[in-house]
Amino acid sequence: MEVSGRASQSRGWCVMPTTVCTAKASCKKLPGLLELTDTHLQWTQDGKKAPAIRVAHSEAASLFCSKEGAAQVRLKVSLIGDENGHNFTFTSSPQPIAVAEREKFKQELTAIIGRNRSSASAVAEARSKLLVPPPINVAANLPVSAVSAVSTPTTVVKPRPTAPPARPSVSRAASVVSERRATPIIAGDDPTSDFRLRKQVLMSNPELGALHRDLVMTGQITEAEFWDGREHLILAQAAAEGQKKGKPGQLVDPRPEAVEGGEIKIRITPQLVHDIFDEYPVVARAYSENVPNKLSEEQFWKRYFQSKLFNVHRASIRSSATQHVVKEDPIFDKYLEKDDDELEPRRPRNEHVEVFVDLAATLEDHEETGNEKDVTMQAGRQKAALPLIRKFNEHSERLLNSALGEVSPAKRRRLDHGEDAYSQIDLEDLHDAEASNGIVLEMQDRQRYFEARMSSGAGESSQPKLDPMAVLQETKANLQNWETRLTQLKIDRKSGDNALLGMTKDVANRLDGRVKKNDIPDGLLRQMTSCQTAANEFLRQFWLATYPSPGELPTVATPAQRAAKAAKMIGFISKTHEKVQALVQTAQQHGIDPNRVQTALKPVLQASDHALTFYRNKKPPKL
Amino acid sequence: MHPDHLAVVLDLSPAHWHRPPLPLDRFLAHILVFLNAHIAARPENTLAVFAALPGRAPLLYPDPDAADQPPPADPNVYPPFRRLDSIVTARIAHELDSLTPDESLLTAPSALVGALTKALCYINRLNLATSQVDPRILVLSVSPDLSTAYIPIMNSIFSAQKLKVTIDACQVFGPDTVFLQQAAHLTGGSYLHLTETSALLQYLIMSFLPPPAIRKVLAVPTQDRIDFRAACFCHKNIVDIGFVCSVCLSIFCQPVPVCSTCRTKFPIKTLQRLNASRPLATPATPSSARPSPAATPAQPSAETPRHRAPLLTGEFAQNGASSQPVTNGSKY
Repeated sequence: MEVSGRASQSRGWCVMPTTVCTAKASCKKLPGLLELTDTHLQWTQDGKKAPAIRVAHSEAASLFCSKEGAAQVRLKVSLIGDENGHNFTFTSSPQPIAVAEREKFKQELTAIIGRNRSSASAVAEARSKLLVPPPINVAANLPVSAVSAVSTPTTVVKPRPTAPPARPSVSRAASVVSERRATPIIAGDDPTSDFRLRKQVLMSNPELGALHRDLVMTGQITEAEFWDGREHLILAQAAAEGQKKGKPGQLVDPRPEAVEGGEIKIRITPQLVHDIFDEYPVVARAYSENVPNKLSEEQFWKRYFQSKLFNVHRASIRSSATQHVVKEDPIFDKYLEKDDDELEPRRPRNEHVEVFVDLAATLEDHEETGNEKDVTMQAGRQKAALPLIRKFNEHSERLLNSALGEVSPAKRRRLDHGEDAYSQIDLEDLHDAEASNGIVLEMQDRQRYFEARMSSGAGESSQPKLDPMAVLQETKANLQNWETRLTQLKIDRKSGDNALLGMTKDVANRLDGRVKKNDIPDGLLRQMTSCQTAANEFLRQFWLATYPSPGELPTVATPAQRAAKAAKMIGFISKTHEKVQALVQTAQQHGIDPNRVQTALKPVLQASDHALTFYRNKKPPKL
Repeated sequence: MHPDHLAVVLDLSPAHWHRPPLPLDRFLAHILVFLNAHIAARPENTLAVFAALPGRAPLLYPDPDAADQPPPADPNVYPPFRRLDSIVTARIAHELDSLTPDESLLTAPSALVGALTKALCYINRLNLATSQVDPRILVLSVSPDLSTAYIPIMNSIFSAQKLKVTIDACQVFGPDTVFLQQAAHLTGGSYLHLTETSALLQYLIMSFLPPPAIRKVLAVPTQDRIDFRAACFCHKNIVDIGFVCSVCLSIFCQPVPVCSTCRTKFPIKTLQRLNASRPLATPATPSSARPSPAATPAQPSAETPRHRAPLLTGEFAQNGASSQPVTNGSKY
C-alpha cells in the first residue's frame, strides 16, 4: 500500500515535531518504541532509526483497549479508511507501568479522535493525506546520506498539523514538468490527489470514462492532453470533496450489547467515554472527582450504567420502564439533578428572544384587537415529556454551537441591530426592486437599425434598366382580368401532381425518421458511437491547440508544444475517413444499408475535413 | 378550439412582378381561392390581408371604407366570397394607382417588414378585444432577402413569439430567403419554396390551410433545412461567423474595439485573441450560424460544415455553429 511505502520514506522531514509521550510497545510481535508527537503517532522498531508506522493525528478514527487486568496491555488504533489499523502491545516490565503508559496514550488519542470528529474537514483532509506523499520528498533532492543525517527527531516548532504544509512550488513544478508535461496544475493540489480526483470524475461520468478508456488507455493521447480543457471538472470535484461535514446529530445513547441472564453488557470504548463526557458534563465531573481515588475506572462505569443518573440520561421513555431495576447509589445519586420538568427550564436561556419570533408573545400582543391567550402551546402539559424535550433542545443547541465554532456572542447576534421593532420586520426581499431597472441599452445612432437601405442600392444597379412607368403599367394591366382567371381557375394536372408528390414525400420523410426502428446491431452501433466520440475528442484537442486559450486557466504549453499537439491531432483526424470506411464495410457485412452509416457519420467527416482544410491553409505559426 | 385569424402578407412589389413566372392575375386567382377556403372553413374565422409595396404596407382587407358600398352580386358566387374577392382586388388596384412611377418604385425594397409589423399589431389588437383567436401570419414573398432588414425582421419574429403567432412563409418564386426560413422556424410555422409555381393553390391548401392546432395531428410539408445565418450589424452582410457583443448581443462580422450599438469597450487582449482565432481561409461554402439573440434550440442542418466552437469566455462570443457535432449519430 502506498501509505506505508511513503511513510517509511518520510524521514526526510526537516521540521521535527514535539514528542507528547513515548512508551515501549511491540507491534506485530516486534519490540519497538511507540511515540506520540503533536502531529503523528509513530512506532519505530528497536534498532531502526526511521519509524515503521506513522499515523497523522487526523487519520485516527477510533481507539480500542484491552480489558484492564488482561494478560497483555493492548491498544488498537483504527484509521479513517482502514478499520484494521494498528495493534500495539505495551511491554514496559511491571504491568502497572505499561497500563499507566497506555492510559496516557489513551487520554491523548481520545482527545485527538474527538477533535477529528468535530473538526469535520478532517475526513476529507485525511483522505487526501492518505495518498499524498510528504511534499518534501518531491522538493528536496537531497542526497540520501543527508536525509538520514536529519532523521533523528529533534524538537523544532512545527505548524499546526491540520494545515497542509506549505509546498515549495518551484521544485514541485519542476518535478512535474520533468515527468509529464502540462498536467493541469490546480493550486493547492498535487499529482496524487489530482489522480484520485480524475478517477472520481471518470467514475461518476461513464461517458467520459469510456472516452478515457478508448483514447488514453490505448495510448492514443496522453493523460495530460485528455484533461487539457477539462480542468473545471477536477476543480468541481475537488470543491465537492472539500465540503465540510458537520458533527453527527445523534444523542449519545449506549445500547446494551448482549443480555445474558438478566445481565446487561455495555461495551465501553474510549470514544464512547469521550462522547458521554461531552454530552453530560456532570458525568465528567463525577469521573474526575471519584476516579481513581474512590472508585476504579471499571467500577465507575459499572455503577454509572446502573445508576439513576444513567437512566435520566437515556434519550427515551424507556428509562421509566427500568426505573424499578435501578439501584440506589450513594455516589452517583449525589450528582442526580431534579427532573427538569418545571414550567421554567432549569437552565434558563439567558438570551433575549426576538419579539417577532417569540411564540409566547401572542399572550400579550394586541390586546385591543382581541388576541386570545394561546392555550394550545402550553409548555409542560405532559410533565414526563418536558425533560426529554429540554434535553433535545440542549443537544441541538450544543450541535449548533459546535457548527458555529468559536464565535464571540457579540458577532453571533446579528439580528439585533438595536433598532426599532419595525426595522426587524423590514425584510430586504420585500422591497420593490424599482431601483434596479437593469442596464439601459443606449443604442447609438438608432435610426440606422430601422431604415432598411444603406448598401442595397449598389447590388441592383447591375440589373437591366427598367422603365418604372412601364413596369407599373404592366402590373396594373396584369391585374385587370383577375375575375376571368378566378372563374376559369384550373391547376395544370402535371404540376399539381408534382407539387402533391413533392409535399407528400417531404412529410413522409419526416415520418420515416420518426417511426423507423433502429435496427443497427449493438456492436456496430457501439463502434460507430466510439468512432464519433473519438473523432470529436481529437477535434476538440486540435482546436484547443490551434486557437488561443481563453485565458482563464494558465496553460503551460509553449507555442511549439501546441503546434506539435495540433500536428499529432491532425494525424489522428486524417484517419477518420478510413475508420468510417471500415465501419461502412462492416455494415455491409451485417447486411445494413451502408448509406445509413455514411449518413450518420457524415457530420463527423465534414468536421474532420474542415479541420484538415484549416490546418493545410494555416500559416506557419510565428515562433 | 378557437377560431383562426389569418393575416396574409402579399408581396406585390411591381419590380418583382415584371415578367414573373406566374402572372399576377393567376397568382391572385390562386390566393383568392385560398382566402375563400379559409373563411369558409369556419364561419368564425377572420382574415386580414396586407400588401407589401415599395415603401408602403397598406391593409387591403378588411377595408374600413368598403362597407357602405356592397359589390354587385353575382348569382354564381357565395356573397361573402364575392365581397372578399372584390375588396381585395379593388384595393390592390387602388394602391397600385397611388404609386408614383419614378426610380424609387424599382429601387425601394418592398415593405415586407412593415406589412409583417402591421399584421402583428392587428393581431395584438384582436387579442386585446377577445382572446379567443388562434392567430397566424402567412407571408407570400417574391422578393429576395434584404440583409438590411435583418434586425427589424428578427424583432418581428420575437414579437410573434411573444404573441404566440405562427408565421408561415411561402417563397412563390425568386431565390430562397434566409430570414423567412428563420421566421417560420422560430415561430413554429412552415416555410416552402415552390418548385411548381403554377400549382400554387395546391401548396397553399396542403401546407397553409390547416391552422397550427390541427398541424399537431396533420403533418404539413415544410423545409427541413434551415439557414441560420445572421446579418452583421455593421455592414449588413450575411455572415458565417460573427462576433457578438456580450452586452447587447449585436453581431459584427469582425472583432471591433467598441460596440457600435451600446458603446461597450472591449479589452485589447480579447481583440487580439479573437483576431488570432479567426479562420484564415474559410471556404466559401454555404454554412450556417445561428443568430445569437434567438434563444432557440440548435437545429443544425445536415449540410452544414461545422465551425470552430466559439470562444465564449471572453467579452465577445463568436457566433458560429458548434464544433461538437452532437446531433449526428442519433440520426439513423
